[in-house]
Amino acid sequence: MEEQIGIAWHRLVNRLAARRFPEAAVELASVSRDAALLFRALGGDHGVATQAGAKTRHGARRTLLERLAGSARKVDLAWLDNQALRLPPVIDVFPETALNRSLYFWLAALCAVDPRPDLPWLTRNQAAARAVTHDFPGLAASYARLVEAEIARRPQIGKLAQDEARQEQAIRDALRNPGSVRTLPAARRPPHPVLLWLRPELPVTGKKPQPDHSPDQPSRSGSTRQSDKIRRMAEHTEMPERKGGLLLFRPESIFSWAEYAKVEHETKENEDQDLAQAADDLDIIAIARDRKSVAKKLRMSLDLPSAEGDSLALVGDGMQPEWDYRTHALKPAHCRINMVSLADAEPCALPRHLERDQQRLRRQFGALLPLHQRLKAQSEGNDIDIDPYIRHLAHRAGAETRFYFDQRKRGRDLACLLLADLSLSTEAWVGEDRRVIDVIRDSLFLFSEALSVTRDRFALYGFSSQQRSDVRFHTLKAFSESYDGTVRGRINSISPAYYTRMGAAIRRASEILGRQKARERLLLLITDGKPNDADHYEGRYGIEDTRKALIAARQQGLRPFCVTVDQEAHEYLPHIFGKNSFIIIRKPSELPIRLPLLYAQLTHQGH
Amino acid sequence: MSVTSIARAISSPNLIPPYMPTGDEIAVFELAYQNRLPVLIKGPTGCGKTRFVEHMAARLGRALYTVSCHDDLSASDLVGRHLIDASGTYWTDGPLTQAVRHGGICYLDEVVEARKDTTVVLHALSDDRRILPIDRTGEILKAPPEFMLVVSYNPGYQHLLKGLKPSTRQRFVSLAFGFPEAAREAEIVATESGVEHAIARRLVTLANALRSTADHDLEEAPGTRLIVDAAKLIASGCDPQVACRAAIVECLSDEPEITRALMVVVLAIFGN
Ligand SMILES: Nc1ncnc2c1ncn2[C@@H]1O[C@H](COP(=O)(O)OP(=O)(O)OP(=O)(O)O)[C@@H](O)[C@H]1O
Ligand SMILES: [Mg+2]
Repeated sequence: MEEQIGIAWHRLVNRLAARRFPEAAVELASVSRDAALLFRALGGDHGVATQAGAKTRHGARRTLLERLAGSARKVDLAWLDNQALRLPPVIDVFPETALNRSLYFWLAALCAVDPRPDLPWLTRNQAAARAVTHDFPGLAASYARLVEAEIARRPQIGKLAQDEARQEQAIRDALRNPGSVRTLPAARRPPHPVLLWLRPELPVTGKKPQPDHSPDQPSRSGSTRQSDKIRRMAEHTEMPERKGGLLLFRPESIFSWAEYAKVEHETKENEDQDLAQAADDLDIIAIARDRKSVAKKLRMSLDLPSAEGDSLALVGDGMQPEWDYRTHALKPAHCRINMVSLADAEPCALPRHLERDQQRLRRQFGALLPLHQRLKAQSEGNDIDIDPYIRHLAHRAGAETRFYFDQRKRGRDLACLLLADLSLSTEAWVGEDRRVIDVIRDSLFLFSEALSVTRDRFALYGFSSQQRSDVRFHTLKAFSESYDGTVRGRINSISPAYYTRMGAAIRRASEILGRQKARERLLLLITDGKPNDADHYEGRYGIEDTRKALIAARQQGLRPFCVTVDQEAHEYLPHIFGKNSFIIIRKPSELPIRLPLLYAQLTHQGH
Repeated sequence: MSVTSIARAISSPNLIPPYMPTGDEIAVFELAYQNRLPVLIKGPTGCGKTRFVEHMAARLGRALYTVSCHDDLSASDLVGRHLIDASGTYWTDGPLTQAVRHGGICYLDEVVEARKDTTVVLHALSDDRRILPIDRTGEILKAPPEFMLVVSYNPGYQHLLKGLKPSTRQRFVSLAFGFPEAAREAEIVATESGVEHAIARRLVTLANALRSTADHDLEEAPGTRLIVDAAKLIASGCDPQVACRAAIVECLSDEPEITRALMVVVLAIFGN
């Protein structure tokens, strides 16, 4: 009994202390799409994702209750960095759902507009608030409500020490009247966090590390689904400092190799937290260089500024450039393409389980894309169509002279290169008994079956990568080869491996397809996720490089199109491929059947 | 008599459909006309292409023959065909032939939608031969100086594999239409709909916000037409949020998730 009361009391304190309103909570997941669209609508960068940000330690005074409950040291603020628009995972600071919701939109707008990111926190946020309220009257109205709610939530001025009270007053003035406050009066502590403003500085601070000699940089394995989207802020610390707080070494730390965190010397609750939880609890996971990363195991995505240690020149035949969006430069001959021959694959027949689909596709394709078409009731043609003539005689109407059948040759002059992602992520299961790779394999089979009916020229390639020195390009079927047992054997032999350096693979595929002489040349990419590799090739870097490779393909006169089974692809594919050039297959297991039909749609020229 | 003076003699200002220029398109069009060059207009939907051509035709005092192209449009739909009546067969001119005979402006809207063989009949008309051979009758028409060929298409609209052949494209003087600059568009919206200027400006802010999401979230950016439509609803007493939903948001997407997100943008501007 006593224990229960204890728990209830603890919860109550927690709730009061955190000044949270769980019943009015709004989760990021429920508004992220809306917020992202608003962000783009108001001028935000299309290349960034919308994600939950890590909490920010604010260092402001906590109330007695908060200290009792051991909470409220951290607060969710919003910011924008190279990779993402970071919004709080949940907003429950206001008593009304509508207010919490509108805070999300306000923060997204602030990040999108932010006209003076160069200014210090106080003036920058006022400038942004001014700009948003000036241009968007609807947001101005909701801002006015948010300001009053925020002020009601803030510490009472009467209860603060003089210096802190002055500071608090300045913050309130700045909120109510953005642009009116130039400087913040000094106080012993930083002001209480302002939830309507962007966070003070980007989380990635500290000095850049020296080039890392070990190749084992923290990275996200291709097969790792981000189980926890909250990003840990990675900070490179050189040496532990000893200022203010006591330096603690936490034995339970996941980063047993070198974890320096400045932790307040208060009792730490939850000594028995599991590892991931422990990471959550740290604002900043310090990673010292020259150490092995365990981030992979933890399935966290660490935002590390990439260590630019890979300027080593590579040589080889199939070199491809790579685009670095940060420097706006194409790094020449940056990736090496290694052609993988599948010479020892055992020739085989079409797998039994596809035979029924094969029959059906043959029929469908025969009808969908016939080589010759017989058109009825034509005004000219090589055969008489008797029906309309009889009708004409019967009615004696002034109908048109459409009494002919016309035979028209289908003028298809098409070459299609299909490029399949064979990275390790395709090992993921999509159903009881099938993995993405199995679905891709079946798709390649059925695609080939269908195209053998249309007699369109096609080639099949697969790719995977292990950093820039090893982009593997598997020839399943070259344009010059015919689809036979040998090709089927190669398709049969594909298996998942490594990562997805998409840009280099697309450039290579563009070269091959570019050599084909055809009126229309289609570059079809099949994938299950974002571009990524075991180095800095991920996030925005990979996305921008892939986008550049596709722009080049289009300039070459090729038509790229992407088919993906990644359900979150709408976050990045429009930016990479353009709005009309991709499709997300909602049920991956349907890919094998959908792909040939999709091809028919794409290449159908109306008649 | 010069071409421009004929035009002035025929047209009277109050019959000209209003068109507000956003650049030097009027001058270019007039010069193309004087030099007997065909014109291609490309631009997103609802940005004033049709209105511009109507305006120019009236301004130049020429009859306008408009054909909306579709993928079943054949060459004989443009040129003409034989019909049968009680007395036998007779020939009727298609709109293109009519325009050539009478020295009018032939406007082919969404020309990329037409079948590839259709565009071939335009070739001899759109280079300096300016002739229209009518295979069925054996007639070869020489276009008079007043005849002009104008085609338009929407580059974003096209099918993955559609587009104009370079040999077709390069016969035309091309005008790229985009959305007008904000102040100008607000002026267009206000005059077209009669809504007050402050509202017109807000609507244009909304349009531009939605446009910047276009290649990410929307299939097609909202054109001036949608904004004018919303403005007309507001001008006749409709609540702005309701008008924006009905005339803009629901016209841009059928997906509930997207329309909901678009309404967030509407509220950012018309919320209260
Ligand atoms: N410059 C302009 N001056 C006057 N009105 C304009 C102008 N631009 C657009 N409009 C308005 O937008 C409406 C739509 O324009 P219009 O029909 O010409 O578009 P369009 O470019 O032909 O579109 P589509 O490609 O869909 O046919 C017009 O009815 C008119 O109200
Ligand atoms: Mg039009």
